[in-house]
Parts: sequence; structure tokens; C-alpha cells
Amino acid sequence: MPPAENSPPLNDIQNDVVRQEISEFILHEDERRRIIALFAKTNPQMQEIAAGVIQGAHTEVDALTQAALKAETSAMEIMDDGLIAGMAIVGIKFRENFIFVPEVLACARAMKAGMQHIEPILSASGIKPIGRVIMGTVKGDLHDIGKNLCIMMLRGAGFEVIDLGVDTSPDDFIDAVEEHDAKLIGMSALLTTTMPNMGRTIEAFIDADLRDDVMFMVGGAPVTPEFAEDMGADAYGDSAVECVEVAKQLATKLNG
Amino acid sequence: MENIDPAEYQKRLDRLAEIYRQIGHHAEQQALHRCPYKNRRDECTAKFGCRYQQRTPDQSLPLCTSDDQLDYRSAWEIDPDSVAQMRQLLQQQNAPESVSPQVSVNLKTGAGKIGLSLFDHADTLNEKIPSSCGRVGTCHECIVEVAAGMDGLSPRTQHEAFLNDDFRLACQAKVLNPQADINCRTLRRIPQILTATTSTTQLPVDPCVTRHDDEVHYEGEVIDKYRGHLLGIAIDLGTTTVIVELINLESGAVLATSAIENPQRFGGSDVMNRISYDAGPFTGELHGAIIRTLNSEIEQLCEQASVKRRTIYEIVVVGNATMRELFFGNDVQPIGQRPYKSEIEQAYRQGKLASTAVVELATNLNIRVNPQGRVYGVPLIASHVGGDVAAALVAINLAEQTETVMLVDAGTNTEVVVGNRDQLLVASCPAGPAFEGGLVTHGMPGCQGAIESLKVDGDGFQYQTIGSVTPVGICGSGLIELLAELRRHGRMTPLGVFEDRVQTLDILPAHGITFSRADASHLAQAKAANYCGQVALLREFDIGPSEISCLYLAGGFANYVDVDAACEIGFLAPVPSNRIQKIGNAAAQGARELLLSRRQRLTLESLIRKAKHIELETVPDFFDLFVDGCQFQPMSF
Repeated sequence: MPPAENSPPLNDIQNDVVRQEISEFILHEDERRRIIALFAKTNPQMQEIAAGVIQGAHTEVDALTQAALKAETSAMEIMDDGLIAGMAIVGIKFRENFIFVPEVLACARAMKAGMQHIEPILSASGIKPIGRVIMGTVKGDLHDIGKNLCIMMLRGAGFEVIDLGVDTSPDDFIDAVEEHDAKLIGMSALLTTTMPNMGRTIEAFIDADLRDDVMFMVGGAPVTPEFAEDMGADAYGDSAVECVEVAKQLATKLNG
Repeated sequence: MENIDPAEYQKRLDRLAEIYRQIGHHAEQQALHRCPYKNRRDECTAKFGCRYQQRTPDQSLPLCTSDDQLDYRSAWEIDPDSVAQMRQLLQQQNAPESVSPQVSVNLKTGAGKIGLSLFDHADTLNEKIPSSCGRVGTCHECIVEVAAGMDGLSPRTQHEAFLNDDFRLACQAKVLNPQADINCRTLRRIPQILTATTSTTQLPVDPCVTRHDDEVHYEGEVIDKYRGHLLGIAIDLGTTTVIVELINLESGAVLATSAIENPQRFGGSDVMNRISYDAGPFTGELHGAIIRTLNSEIEQLCEQASVKRRTIYEIVVVGNATMRELFFGNDVQPIGQRPYKSEIEQAYRQGKLASTAVVELATNLNIRVNPQGRVYGVPLIASHVGGDVAAALVAINLAEQTETVMLVDAGTNTEVVVGNRDQLLVASCPAGPAFEGGLVTHGMPGCQGAIESLKVDGDGFQYQTIGSVTPVGICGSGLIELLAELRRHGRMTPLGVFEDRVQTLDILPAHGITFSRADASHLAQAKAANYCGQVALLREFDIGPSEISCLYLAGGFANYVDVDAACEIGFLAPVPSNRIQKIGNAAAQGARELLLSRRQRLTLESLIRKAKHIELETVPDFFDLFVDGCQFQPMSF
């Protein structure tokens, strides 16, 4: 067999970080070949963006994306060869347990830092986000990882997400809805002791005469579909993956 | 700018979503045996406390010590069972002998458990302590005062660096010593009977916030749609006691009232202590403390009255200069040093501001009411004579008084006013907390169990407590009567020396209540401050006490004072007792009127311009006055 088939031209990739990441962490031969081939044809600036995503370096990705757009690199090329290419490696590293959720979230944040410069071009081209979601962990609860995974996935699916962080009071949710004119709210709770605050938040919306304007989706380890129904939520998501599906359904209802 | 084809973009999104989907699935699988907050270096990235966190000196993040054998969720969940089990283990290790201390929280007592926090004990005792950080020490809401057993608690943690003296965070202080009984308490609620002011006249209702059909207007500007109510909050922000009233702005009715201790006590009991506390390194803690407490009080008042916080459109705050500026988050350092004027007052005196009143959006102060709600800070008169006195002037209707009257608002800081509608003198006397329950061994605020009145009866005393329950201590009115009775029966000299030169008198031996010479001395000094203010002002106004047409006596405990006793010991100027009128909490009454009436605000502003402030320290014979004032005998002129 020709040598090119056996040992893909790793040295064709100019960026040291990307090269090293591939040689160290991408272990399956097929995958390795495919990824090297993908990167080999990309230009060094895009490889730098990919390296930034892989390292979770959001300020670098921010600056590099801005510079690339200024140099008239097309937004699609930046997504293909920079942001998504980098995230593909992150996904594999996570699957193989080389990195864990905190690192993945740092990479997703870097991804977002790049995407934020592409969003204006999208809206100028008439592409709207499929919906705007307000996300927060409820009052008294400081757990954020499940919520952050959901946010990552929602953004990946084309939603615009406003992240209220942890320990979000009912009024914070209300204020955010009014400020951002959003209609979809995602609430997370990880403690049985804070779970009732989801219901209290919904009650606060009723009190403020805003309940009919919005839809709630809820999730988190102790939350069950029954509990979600009891507290008057519109939908329940069992996992971060399901969260996207639920959000899409609610967005369709809201638009229809 | 380039034009992006939606279909092309969608393709990319789908690819990204697929990558994320796989990440999501893997994360879910992994979470069953590995905590998702644990990073690749086995460090914990969580922003909350977890029992598996182990701090090492050279690392910014704590290490995770979990063996990944447990379901990670049990590490986070505040599960009373699993956590208690672990702690019981700790307890066995720490305390081989089976002695357990008594732990009291807000007078409820139970057996203490070694290794558990005061917060945990409060849970067991069914006593509610406010908190919003998940008990990790960051929200600073669970402050408790430890009256006994401080030594038996774990050392202060980094989160408690801002606290001193007897104050701790309930979530951080753990019971360690099996021998030391612990007694702690949260903020005290003040019974309403000592705070309620009787409003005799129907108040005019012309508030700044008005309803016009479906709209709510503030000073003519549309700020909201009408939501069924127009409500306001009147706050009398005292150094010691805070009174919050929920008021209907359409009818003028008071819907609910609460009275609590000022939560800033951990920063000291008087304004000067608070000012130096706020100098740093914990600048802003006092501001945060009062705002957090106010938010929780507003929530409770709304619950009581079954109304929504979003229908609260205006808040009026009445307080001395320090309290008001701390409330608005302003720098209080200028008030603590000569010329004792806040930045706002200085700007006003230089003509840069038309008034010392302030208006701020409630949301800017993080107060949870309608987002468009306003906060009106009642104008300050001069130096330490603040908005509380201004509000009291409204309550006594000084703007329409032709005859000369006198106002004594007795408190931690006693304010004195002598004047009429054309001319007025004001002074502030730093009396300290002795009559408010501070410094005196068995002194206490006017709560249930406080002795409010007592008489010598043979060798002992007859007494009356608030709530007619077992006596716990003596409040201000009781202390004044005690001093007068001791004098009347020759058991104490004007200088505070007890009969037979004993150091301590047993007042109620059965209840362990005593009164020492040191207590008398604290009261003498507090009284002397009141004395100086009253004598200096009457002298400056060139008027004798008998010519005063009315002496209005205001302040929480003053309402329960026996005025004869107060005059006999020189606490009050000897105005004929039929001309002394107790008006209860005049500041709270004034706050209510100022909330309800725009006209009152305008009238007050012009009245304040006529006020002349007498700085007591600059009175030439101040020291002589003070020495005279320390004696327990009637004022002399």
C-alpha cells in the first residue's frame, strides 16, 4: 500500500497545537485519518482558531475570529475549518475521557466567543435564531453544570440563550423576560430543597401577570415529569440532549 | 458583509448539534460514576461547598477526594440523613465522652451535636435563619449574635472576616466544645406595641404616584400599567430599630407593619462605630445587610397583606445622616469627621444641590419592588441631625406652630429641636445605646420579657414586664424608673453611688437581675448627652422650660417612660408634665406622611432651610454641662 494511505500527512498541518492534539488524543485510525485530511487543507489562521477552541481559550478565539472576518474570510469557512473542526476534536477527547465536563464547557465558551462575531452576519442575511431562551438555576441553588450543558446544546442548535447563572430569584427571571423580550424560560434545580423554587418562580409570573406570555421548561436531577406538571411547567427535559428537543417543540408552539 | 445561505448555515448547525449530542450522551453516562464538576486534574470546579472538597495551600481549586464509588449526587444533596451520619462519625472521633453542650437559638434550646453548625442546630430546633447561598458563607444573611459560648465554636472562617465581637455566620460556626453551652440569636423582632404611633388626624393623600385609569404615573410620568393596587413603603431606619410599613397610596391605610432590629449591629451599636466599620476593609457590607433585610421584610409584608411586590411604586426612607447614606450606598466617612457633613449636605451648602433629599430607582439599590419604583430619601437637616428628625417635624406639624415647642427624640442618638414655624434650633446628642438595651448588664430592648416599669417595695421591687411574662432584663423605660426610684428612696446618690457603697444591687434576685455601678455610670453618660442638648438649645433660644408650650417626647421607649421619673433624674427638661406629650415614633409617623403627601415634602424642605444647627462640642461650657448632666437630679437653669 502507498505510504500516504497508512500514515496520513500529519506534518501537512502547520499548527503545532492541532498537530500535537491529534497525535496524542485521536487514537482510532479511521477517525485520525479523517481529521488529518480535514485539517491538512485548512489555512493556518483557521487552525489557530481550532486550537483556541480545543484549549478553551475564549479570548484568543474571540480575537482570531474577529481578525479573520476583517480579512474577509467567509463565515462558513470559519465555522467549518476553525470552530467546528476544533469542537470535533473536543468531542473525541471527551468521549475518550481525556477531558471532562468542566473542560468541555470551557471549549464551548470559546466556541461561543467566536460565534458571537458570526451572528451579526447571520441576521444581516435574514437568518434568525430559532428562538430565544432564558436559562437559570433557581433561587438557593448554586449548581450550574447541567444548566450549562443545556445552554451549550441549545446554542449549538441555533437558539439564542440568555444565561442568568445560578441562584436566580423569581424577580431575576421576570426582569430578564421583560428586558430581553423572551418567551421561553428554562429552569434548573439540583436539590430537593430548591426544587420547589421552580414552582414559586412560576407563581411569581402569575402574580406579575406574565404567565400567559411565556413557557417554562424544567429539568435537573430531582425533577420528575410528575413534579413538573404539578408545578405548572409547560415541559420537562430529562437530559441536556432532551432539552434541545423540548425547546424546539415549545418554540414551535410559541411561534404557531 | 457577506450573505450567508440559510441552508449552508443549517448544515453547519446540524454538524455542531451532532457533536454536542454525543457530548451530551457521554456526559450523562459519565455522571453516574464521576462528578461532572471534577476536572481532568481531579480539581473541584463547583462554586458551592461539597464534603469531598479538600483545600491544598498551593492550589486555587480544591481537590476532589471522592473515590467515584458513590453516586455523585449524594455529595451535593443537603441530605439530612447522609450528612448527619457522617457528622455523627466525626462526633464520635472528636468527643469520646458522651457529654453534649446545650445549644440555644432564639431561646429555643436543644442538645448540641459536635461538628454541626449553628445553622444545623437551628434546623433541628425548627428555627428559621435566612440564607440564600446554600449555606456556604457567601450571602452573609445568616448572621447571629452569640451571647454565650463563643469559645465553644470553631474559629472564624475566611467568610466571616467582616464580623467581629460576638457575631458569627450560623452556617460557618460549628459547635466543637462538648463542655461549652451556646446561646445565640438572629435578628430580634421588636413587638409592635412599642413602635406603633397613633395617628390622630386623617392624613391628606396626595402621593407622587397616582393612578390614571389603567396607568400608573410617577410625577406625571407613566411608569406602569395599573395592577390593582398602588402601594408604598415607609421606612423608619433607626440605628437600633427599623420599622417598615406597607401603605396603600390610594387610601392612606397602613396594610402591614414590621419592626426589627437594625441588621447592621455587627458593625457596632452607634453611628460612629458603623462609620468606622464602613471605612474598610468591609465597605459596603452594612449597605448590603440593610438592603437584604429590607427585601425579606417587604416580602413578608406583602404576604401578610396578600399583595404583590410589583404594585409597590415608592419607598420613603427616613433616617439619621449615617443610616440614610449607608442605605443609599453613599460614602459615610465625611459624616464621621469634622464638619460631620455628608457629601450631599456639603454639596447642598455649596449651592450645588437644591436639597439634601435624594431620589433613586429601587432597582439600582437592588430593592425588589416594581422595577420602576422610586426611593425617596427624606432630606437631612444638618450634620447628624438627619431625615428622622425632619420626619418628626412633619409629625408634630412644626411648620404651623406659632408658639415655641420642643422635640426630644430619644434614642441611641437623641435629637433635640426647639422652635416654631419661623425659627428652629436643632442639636444631636450621641447618647449611646445604654437606654436601648446596650452596655447595661441586664439592659435589653423593649421586647417581651423586658421590665418596663418597677417600684421599690420594701427591700425588693415590684415590676411589670412587657407581655406580663418572666423578666429577662430591663428596657429603657424601666431603667429610668429604676434610677428615679433609687434616688427617691435614698438608695443612690446623684453621682450614682449606691447605699452602703456596694458595687452591685440585686434588683430581682430570683431572676438574677442586678444593677451595677458600671451600669449606672453608662446610663449617667447617656443621660448627660440628652441633658446637654436640651439645656444648650433652650439657652440659645433664650427660653425657659416653663415657657415651652409643648414638649413632644418621641422615640421607641420614650412612649413608656414615666415623665415625672424622667424629669427627676434630669433626662428631660422640667416642662410642666401636663405639657409633655408622648408621640411615640414620630419619625415613622413622619415617614408615612411624607410617603403620602407631596405637599408635606415641599413644606418640609422650606422648613428645613430655617433650621440652625448647634454643634454641642463647640458650646464653650460643654464640658461643665456634661459633668452636670451626669448627675441623677433635675436639670438646672
